Amino acid sequence: MYNYTVFDKDFVATRAAQFRDQVQRRIEGTLTEDEFKPLRLMNGLYLLLHAYMLRVAIPYGTLNSQQMRALADIADKWDKGYAHFSTRQNVQFHWPKLRDVPDILEALAAVHMHAIQTSGACIRSVTADHFAGAAADELSDPRPTAELVRQWSTDHPEFAFLPRKFKIAVSGSPQDRAVTKFHDIGLRLVQDATGAPGYEVSVGGGLGRTPMVGKVLRGFLPRADLLPYLEAILQVYNLIGRRDNKYKARIKITLHEHGLEDIRQQVEASFSLQRARFDGTDQDILARIEADFMLPAYKTAPISAFERQLANDPSFRAFSETNLHPHKNPDYAIVTVSLKAHGATPGDASSAQMRVLAEIAARWSHDELRVSHEQNIILPHVHKGDLPEVYKALQAAGLATANIGLISDLIACPGMDYCDLATARSTIVAQSIALRFEALKQEHTIGPLKIKISGCINACGHHHAGHIGILGLEKAGVESYQITLGGDGSQNATIGKPTGKGFSSDEIVPAIERLIEAYLLLRHSASEAFLTTYRRLGPAPFKAALYSAKERKNEL
Amino acid sequence: MSFENPGFTLSAQVAELNKRFQSTDTVEMLRHVIADPRFGPLALVSSFGADSVVLLDMVAKIDSALPVLFIDTEMLFRQTLTYQQKLAVDLGLQDLRRILPSREAVLERDFENLLHRSDTDACCTLRKTEPLARALKGFRGWISGRKRYQGGARASMELFEIDAEQRIKINPLAHWSREELAGYITTHNLPRHPLVAKGYRSIGCAPCTIPSGTTNHERAGRWEGQGKTECGIHFSQAPAAPVIVTDQGFAKDDWAGGFRGVDALASLGTQDKSALAVDLAGDFNAKDLLRWVKRINLIRVDFPVFSDGRGFSLGRQLRMLGYAGRLRAKGHILADQYAMARRSGFDEVEIDAALAQRQPAPVWRARANWQVRDYQLCLRQRA
Amino acid sequence: MPQFSAPQILTANDLLSGEVVYHTKTGAWSCRHKDAAIFDQPNPAADCLKEIIQNDASVVSPYLVRALPMHFREAFRAAGPSNRFIGKQAGHT
Repeated sequence: MYNYTVFDKDFVATRAAQFRDQVQRRIEGTLTEDEFKPLRLMNGLYLLLHAYMLRVAIPYGTLNSQQMRALADIADKWDKGYAHFSTRQNVQFHWPKLRDVPDILEALAAVHMHAIQTSGACIRSVTADHFAGAAADELSDPRPTAELVRQWSTDHPEFAFLPRKFKIAVSGSPQDRAVTKFHDIGLRLVQDATGAPGYEVSVGGGLGRTPMVGKVLRGFLPRADLLPYLEAILQVYNLIGRRDNKYKARIKITLHEHGLEDIRQQVEASFSLQRARFDGTDQDILARIEADFMLPAYKTAPISAFERQLANDPSFRAFSETNLHPHKNPDYAIVTVSLKAHGATPGDASSAQMRVLAEIAARWSHDELRVSHEQNIILPHVHKGDLPEVYKALQAAGLATANIGLISDLIACPGMDYCDLATARSTIVAQSIALRFEALKQEHTIGPLKIKISGCINACGHHHAGHIGILGLEKAGVESYQITLGGDGSQNATIGKPTGKGFSSDEIVPAIERLIEAYLLLRHSASEAFLTTYRRLGPAPFKAALYSAKERKNEL
Repeated sequence: MSFENPGFTLSAQVAELNKRFQSTDTVEMLRHVIADPRFGPLALVSSFGADSVVLLDMVAKIDSALPVLFIDTEMLFRQTLTYQQKLAVDLGLQDLRRILPSREAVLERDFENLLHRSDTDACCTLRKTEPLARALKGFRGWISGRKRYQGGARASMELFEIDAEQRIKINPLAHWSREELAGYITTHNLPRHPLVAKGYRSIGCAPCTIPSGTTNHERAGRWEGQGKTECGIHFSQAPAAPVIVTDQGFAKDDWAGGFRGVDALASLGTQDKSALAVDLAGDFNAKDLLRWVKRINLIRVDFPVFSDGRGFSLGRQLRMLGYAGRLRAKGHILADQYAMARRSGFDEVEIDAALAQRQPAPVWRARANWQVRDYQLCLRQRA
Repeated sequence: MPQFSAPQILTANDLLSGEVVYHTKTGAWSCRHKDAAIFDQPNPAADCLKEIIQNDASVVSPYLVRALPMHFREAFRAAGPSNRFIGKQAGHT
């Protein structure tokens, strides 16, 4: 894991102190709310429906046990005993008081964490593959690059007041688990014909009101050119991105309006000037960061305990089938801990659960934890021989739900239960779907399926990227849920297509049930996943399951 | 030196006074000023607030007959009135004049005594500024108890100033610190305003004053939450000139050459060697300036609103294209953005007087160390 | 803000706690929806909002909203989140 330098420590401590002063000035009245708002947003502090919300950065989703314990302590001391892990690999506290926030930031700084740039029209906290440095299929660990980008983008003087927020994701595997194509900039670690390392740079992806799949701006960018090239993209965007309409302010619209070729020319022109401003120091720093991300010292031990438990314990077997992922080291496994116990709010963890996860990580996962954009917690390096004990500890804390990748492993934004922007609730829909299919005992029969739910058009629940997406809207004073089908956040990035008119909060779960019934009837075999069946047959049979003939006729 | 000498302007006289008394002991200076007939007639204006007793004590010991003007806005704390009466007796003030707002004006403009809730500025005008202006008629100079450490516009005030009516205004305590005032009060065993013990450090009218406690800003409790720090009696020249912010703090604009629009560059003769300053909007394409880059002395980039960050990139672009002259960011820029401006290649920031008043020099100086804690510097400079 | 079609109440979030608050008859703020003062006429409501925007720094983003029937968003604001019993409905303020 990355070790904070003296500089990093001083930086976050000073930022916490600066924010203390800004909060003081706001309370005294020398900063108006209009002026304070961007400053608090730059420090991750929102004002939502019921209270303030502090969004804490977990850069590229990586944290250690001490940090997880500190988060649990914050939840107990300054919040209501729980935290919410978000679809941006961040963690949110939903009930802090304004006067306490400087203390919270100080407590975070003490464990090398912060809430910087988790909000506002700036470069947001950088995300990466949550299996980084562990997955068997990985070419190269994306986290050193992500850390370099974190340092470069932190407090960047030119880019703190962009037209709109800006998100960067990094992936180092052929299997894109970081949803790079739906980011303002997506970086994929690649090699050129000679084997030299570099990046494929995609620009202009995004969900929200106008979902778009990112386009490749440079097929191969030499490794050392990364920062000047990013700087060039951001400078062009900062100068020409629209500021007259916030719905047209993201770089995806800039790209759409100017065209890929025009943007490419402008970026290359800026890049030619930017290049000289980097003297190679950044590459020295990257090398130092890489040293921090060396593989942990894996142990050599028998895995017989694991095999025995697999043979004897059906629930452990079910857990292993869904919640384990192949590790670089065949004696190890990546464990995904589900924060989606049936009926629970996706992404929420109690302070007690967070402490258990910290304890397990310290004992059995080389002190590492990850947060996934799918709102689960990852134990990236668990020796298979330790799995039975890990499983037991998870079970005791209510964290052993065996549903990763299944229908109840759905992601949902906080929705109108918390969010100021929401137009409908989303967690209640997630909870209801999970409980319904648990009752039907169909989950494992259905197999791999990603349902993603957003409580408004801004799409924090990534609904466009869900195999089944659900978008909560308000229609005539009541909640209405629109279904999209066929979305995909992987390397085959696809935007889901709306099926037709929305469903009320009473109708949405039965509608999903009809979709699933149709799929079970239509699939070739039990091994054909929902998305594959949908791609083979198109939307028609699914629309037929959702709507009556009359409704479908009216649609036309 | 003579005030009657028409060839010697008032401002030059004030500059001379400031120089002459800059390191004189306060009591000594007051003794001199009060004794010198050329300053007269002279009055002391006191609010009988948190620290007023210091100046009242000094003046009473020199000349207890000097007129003391006490502005009773009729909105003061009960404790202020009691305190005023006690001090008048204790210090033996012989000519204390209680200045009230005009009856007619109050009936006309604030008959419910609620004006302060809808418009504090109008209330201050009615109950403070206008009555004081009337009371000061006939005086040639006045003494005020303002201190620099109170911040805001006060941070830069001089010992001697000229007010809007061309009177000499004397601020004998300008350079006194809070601790020195407290020390004087203790040493001379003077009574304190009863509200000081309750956390009030600057005391005005009851509706618009709350305790400022131990916060950084002395006058934080005045017009709390309103972006207002002065009632109006202490504004000297309006409209105030913009302020130039540098790492050293606030200064006046030293550029006298005016600014041209970009369009005016085209008509500039090739032989014209005069100093040249240009105004740019945030959406300006820096490349269009390329042929003038070596010729321009000062570029001023407009920031129409603090959330529009285009200017930062424009500044950086100008530097990347080789502009080495003076670069100024002008407009709605917050102190919290000062480091961003400096790091993007700007030399200085120009803000209007209202913003300077709300975000006084110390708030900006707190960001003067913009070179430290800069990730950009770490990434570009070989150690 | 929609046209004035029904009695309105004035609501905001408290600056320090962030909590949902309602403007009461005495001009103070209450965290209970039932304490909210009801404006029957549009002008006093708008004047009151204007006055608060200008002079009341103790709250953030004040706005007027229809008193009845309550929009579902306002119902959540008045009660707390529906997925967890930890807001006003649980007596937490």
